[in-house]
Amino acid sequence: MKRILVIAMMAAALHVSCAPTTERVLDADDETQLQKRSYESRIFDTSDKEKVLRATISTLQDLGFVIDRADLTLGTVSGTKYAGFLMKITVSARPKGNDRILVRANAQFNITPVDDPKQYQDFFSSLEKSLFLTAHEAD
Amino acid sequence: MKKGFAILAVTILVAGCVSPPPHVFLVTPEMLAERQLEMRRYDGIKEAELLSACANVLQDLGFQLENSESRLGVLTVIKHRDAKNAGEIVVSIIVTVLSGKPMPYSKDQTIRASLVVRPVYDSNGDVLPDSHYVRITIQRLVRRTDNSIFVETLHDPNLYERFYDKLSKSVFIEAQKI
Repeated sequence: MKRILVIAMMAAALHVSCAPTTERVLDADDETQLQKRSYESRIFDTSDKEKVLRATISTLQDLGFVIDRADLTLGTVSGTKYAGFLMKITVSARPKGNDRILVRANAQFNITPVDDPKQYQDFFSSLEKSLFLTAHEAD
Repeated sequence: MKKGFAILAVTILVAGCVSPPPHVFLVTPEMLAERQLEMRRYDGIKEAELLSACANVLQDLGFQLENSESRLGVLTVIKHRDAKNAGEIVVSIIVTVLSGKPMPYSKDQTIRASLVVRPVYDSNGDVLPDSHYVRITIQRLVRRTDNSIFVETLHDPNLYERFYDKLSKSVFIEAQKI
């Protein structure tokens, strides 16, 4: 019984510490950079960056986030949600050509990155409603 | 042996228990109710003046300004305060005496809030001049005596009611240039 307990503890320790620091800092995993960018991004048919950012802020507030910081020049908004857990998100809006804006979001749940495309799909669907615009998949 | 597998399963489950609740990014009807609580409309005042009135009230409440982007109507404020509560301490003492194990209680807290001012749009999507919504969201992170923490968003209607009472007075003063 004792031996099994030791094996179990070793397995757990191995499981927790399996990624070296570099991998953690770079969040390097099986997904490619392109895959990640693809589900974290959408394109909106507008050239009004301020409107997109204000809608993003208001969507995040609807979702229960406190806005940590916002920057119109850089086109970024960051927010934190406290609800028993800790969720953080950064959203950026960058012009793509003259008449479109690329919105990208990346979120963190407690101490792990959110890498479920469904969560981002939900976020962009909430943002669409607030912007009254349809989001397109990024090229 | 069976117990061993159970322990193994539990430890792996604990190590791998890292996914957020589903639909955390979908706006629910409860969240829209929350919006009513946290938001008020102000007419007859320019956005910059309204934001300044808001900053003034947040200072009245002892908050420190952490971040701002006036071009997007955003203010983020923070304060650190004591979180000791007589009732909680009494319960902790009773439980500690009865069980022999010290029960932690709230020690101090970090209170954070973001306040956002945004224009009101009419049914055609045009901006209504000098009409704005103000929305504040308040959260806190509480540290207990055993250094554990818990986090929550505040939903007490009375809290928001009292905040907007103060803001309405400040907006009036700002609008009258007193």
